[in-house]
Amino acid sequence: MMEIQSMKELIEACEREKKSISEMMLMVEAKKSGRDEDTIIRMMEERLIKMKEAVDSGIKDASTAPSGISGGDAVKMSEYVRQGKSLSGDYISNAMSFSLATSENNARMGVIVATPTAGAAGILPGVLFSLHKNDGTPYKELVKGLFTASMLGLVIANRSFISGAAGGCQAEVGSATAMAAGTIVELKGGTPQQVVNATAIAMKSLLGLVCDPVGGLVEVPCIKRNVIGTSIAFSAADMSLAGVESRIPCDEVIEAMYKVGKDMPRTLRETALGGLAMTETGKEVKERLFCRKS
Amino acid sequence: MEFQSCFDIIGPIMVGPSSSHTAGVVSIGKFIYELLGDYPQETNIVFYDSFAETYQGHGTDKALLGGLLGMNTDDSQIKYALEKAKECGMQYQFEFENICEYMDHPNTTIVTAKRDDHVVTVGGVSLGGGLSKIFMIDDEMVSIRLSAGDDFSILAKPYQRKEKVLVKAI
Repeated sequence: MMEIQSMKELIEACEREKKSISEMMLMVEAKKSGRDEDTIIRMMEERLIKMKEAVDSGIKDASTAPSGISGGDAVKMSEYVRQGKSLSGDYISNAMSFSLATSENNARMGVIVATPTAGAAGILPGVLFSLHKNDGTPYKELVKGLFTASMLGLVIANRSFISGAAGGCQAEVGSATAMAAGTIVELKGGTPQQVVNATAIAMKSLLGLVCDPVGGLVEVPCIKRNVIGTSIAFSAADMSLAGVESRIPCDEVIEAMYKVGKDMPRTLRETALGGLAMTETGKEVKERLFCRKS
Repeated sequence: MEFQSCFDIIGPIMVGPSSSHTAGVVSIGKFIYELLGDYPQETNIVFYDSFAETYQGHGTDKALLGGLLGMNTDDSQIKYALEKAKECGMQYQFEFENICEYMDHPNTTIVTAKRDDHVVTVGGVSLGGGLSKIFMIDDEMVSIRLSAGDDFSILAKPYQRKEKVLVKAI
């Protein structure tokens, strides 16, 4: 049984087998699950389709979430981008719109795909469908990208954590952004080493980020952190493709993320007892929601 | 290595808003549904730590009841689970505690569920990304990994049989 437990092992395995990270994931999955590769690819395609549906429905839905504290921003953002006003360039601007669309859909209890969690579900679809829109990366390639992302996510999840309750937002939006950065690099022809390098750079940028959802809802500030995650993913990918290296190896960054998460007080790990959740406005929102419920 | 498959990372396909506080909890409820062979007529649910603090915002209560009613993680009816439970005549009660003495994880629940003369107490923990684990069935510590794509009826079967034998013995 092949077990890949670190980014170092992953790069070595890819170089030894002369495979990309997505091909390595597919091979490992087939061995572990006993399913044939075609079946696994079909299952992943199904997930890409659900992601696309979430983007398509979210991008034109201006309704607010049941909480009343999110919704309508994807419509605003995509209209602004469509008018050509955006400062961030096409790749990042489109990714921002798609990411908003997905995360708003999630807040409405709509169907989404966790990547790796629901709270961070906007980032990966954001960058993937932006690549498709801007350089015509075919859907078949995007499916490959999902295998790259899941390989990176598996290493992170097993060495550290991927949920805000366990390790803060750095573990959730941080991991998703790191996965997205690496995925962009692989889809743009980078080596496994460059993929892992982008993953490290992105994760470093979000180290220490706390999980402080207002009213305990996956909306404020989660939705906008997904949006910002897409721009960090593109920046980290660009740096890595330019040949910039992370001075701290990726496995050590993941280890640091784990330790920071362990040191994080309970109030800053998805309990809604600290950070933005406990601001004056945050507390007002919580009170209003809970009064309405009872 | 809790996370084994690419679909533990990319997935589940689910209704929002939270993979750990919504989707993973549907799975815990669904496992209990399979264990009893049907939805419970009575249930007492204890939410610990993060679940206790944020269940309303994440719909964790709806998720657990939805699972107990037999729903899957991508069932768009989950948001109406409280109403559905009432329609079925299910008597449910929620309790909230800080720390669970059996499991050191913020996303933990212990559910006691009754169907006819069959009572089970099940401990479940949601590990993130929609992946969950059953760590206790009655007094026995277990480790049953629940991934949204799995067939829970097969996973519940070994424990189901034993429960039935016990009930008959009484």
